[in-house]
Amino acid sequence: MAAARDTTNQQSQAYLPDFCAAGAVLIIVLVATLVAIALTLAARPEAGDFLGELGQMAMYVVWMALLGTALLCRLRTWIERFGKTQAFVIAFGLLLLLCLGVAEGTWQLNRTLREVAIIHDTHAGFLTRTIAISSIVIALAMRYLYISSEWRRSIVLEAQSRISALQALIRPHFLFNSLNTIASLARSDPARAEEAVEDLADLMRANLGNPKNRVTLKEELEVAAIYQRIEKLRLGDRLRVRWNVNELPMRALIPSLTIQPLLENAIYHGIELLADGGEVVVTGSRIDDDLQIEIRNPVAAVTNRRKDGNQMALSNIRQRFELAYGNRAAVEVDESADQYSVRLRFPRDEQLA
Amino acid sequence: MNILIVDDEAPARDRLRQIIGDTGEHTVIGEAGNGRQALLMAEKLRPDVVLLDIRMPGIDGIETARHFNTFENPPAVVFTTAYDEYAIRAFDANAIGYILKPVRRERLEMALRQAARLSREKLGTVSTQPGLPQQRAHVCARRHGELNLIAITDIHCFVADQKYVTVIHDDGEDLIDDSLKSLEAEFSAQFVRIHRGALVAVNRIEALAKNGDGQLAIRLRDDDSRRSLPLIVSRRHVADVRRRLKGN
Repeated sequence: MAAARDTTNQQSQAYLPDFCAAGAVLIIVLVATLVAIALTLAARPEAGDFLGELGQMAMYVVWMALLGTALLCRLRTWIERFGKTQAFVIAFGLLLLLCLGVAEGTWQLNRTLREVAIIHDTHAGFLTRTIAISSIVIALAMRYLYISSEWRRSIVLEAQSRISALQALIRPHFLFNSLNTIASLARSDPARAEEAVEDLADLMRANLGNPKNRVTLKEELEVAAIYQRIEKLRLGDRLRVRWNVNELPMRALIPSLTIQPLLENAIYHGIELLADGGEVVVTGSRIDDDLQIEIRNPVAAVTNRRKDGNQMALSNIRQRFELAYGNRAAVEVDESADQYSVRLRFPRDEQLA
Repeated sequence: MNILIVDDEAPARDRLRQIIGDTGEHTVIGEAGNGRQALLMAEKLRPDVVLLDIRMPGIDGIETARHFNTFENPPAVVFTTAYDEYAIRAFDANAIGYILKPVRRERLEMALRQAARLSREKLGTVSTQPGLPQQRAHVCARRHGELNLIAITDIHCFVADQKYVTVIHDDGEDLIDDSLKSLEAEFSAQFVRIHRGALVAVNRIEALAKNGDGQLAIRLRDDDSRRSLPLIVSRRHVADVRRRLKGN
């Protein structure tokens, strides 16, 4: 399930530009002409013959560029299916092949036309020079496109994560139930009501912080513990949470508001719908240089499960992890008939003293 | 009025009891922590009004309310909910009361006044509101006057005879008030009609076989043949039954 969602996410963002667009074609022609000028200048043509040489060179280079553009225009959707890095490699290879073809064609044409253009080179030399120069130019272009697509993607991701951070704010269901609990305790147990108000305030404050920030595991676990205390008032013995987190380095960093929303999910979709409640198990472990945190909860039989389980918290955490770690982190979901678990795996970064 | 409070959270029940105590007009005659308990208590205590939490484990508030409909004198239901957008939307359009948590005293008093006026017929609308889950997870039977909730997943078949419908399930047989037609409409996903008077759980069907008279009979899984009448598929329903069996 997780993997499927990630691919759709990527597909929705094209990383190669649209080569069929007029603007793109114009820029490519412009760049090709500049390359032609540079090459002609570098070749030091005999005096007075600069324009003639440039004309030949430009014709050669612009043809290659335009054919390359046409090729990518047609094949873009197909190429992008292979995933980002592969797509750039494939595009690079295809363009090189095309250049080789054009070079060979030019050589043959030139020979048939009894050498209208003066090429001071052997057949093999001509092909080699063409391939060498075009691979450098194409590589530079690809690198540029790659970086600009990364840059666009990070802007989109950041915008998404900002939106989802707003959505991540504490569930209204939780807020109103907690207020109801506090209203009830205000009479029966004022001391506990007071504590609950303080806890709720701390939790709200953590929620209002910048969700882009990373906090130490110690802080994040504290927020989760506060949350657990509030829910405990409401659910009583039905809620049990076991924290196996001693293995985790408490100074390591984690995007804020990740464990608490997952604990909230575990309670809302799991414990609350079980008449006798159950135990949420939070397990932290180290795997190589990574840290892993798993939140596991029992769930009620399917007949009793509501379909209103929105995946908001989860997709939001996914986005923030991607923004913070790229592909160095993973968010995985495991679901069986009576258990549900989410595993976060992310690189161990420690706070600088 | 006599009130039954139903909520799975103890502080929420306390809160309602406190406020009802403040009004001084009404009496809390019982508290239940889930839908099943609520139905059993309501049967015994006969409350005028039930304050019913919507989100509860097991039988939730909405299903509980629907089972109240099978009572001879169903209590008026006032739902309580913290924040359940979808449920609130379903109620906005009709007369059934609901109050939001945290509960305000004035709001509760208003809802109770409303509930007192509420006619019995209006209660029936709970079962037909669009947007509410159409399927119950249980049917409600009475055995020697005692309420018995049977999980749909435990049911082998429903058989209609004259006036009543018999449910045959893992723990025996019971009579229920629902009509076969309404059961068929509600549980069409799990049950298939095999003749005019019977619905069979598709996933309980082990085999279809011709009997001595050339009729097509159904054999059920884990059937200890406590049932004397055989399940014969009528000609009209053969194609349908076969199609459902293939689909599963």
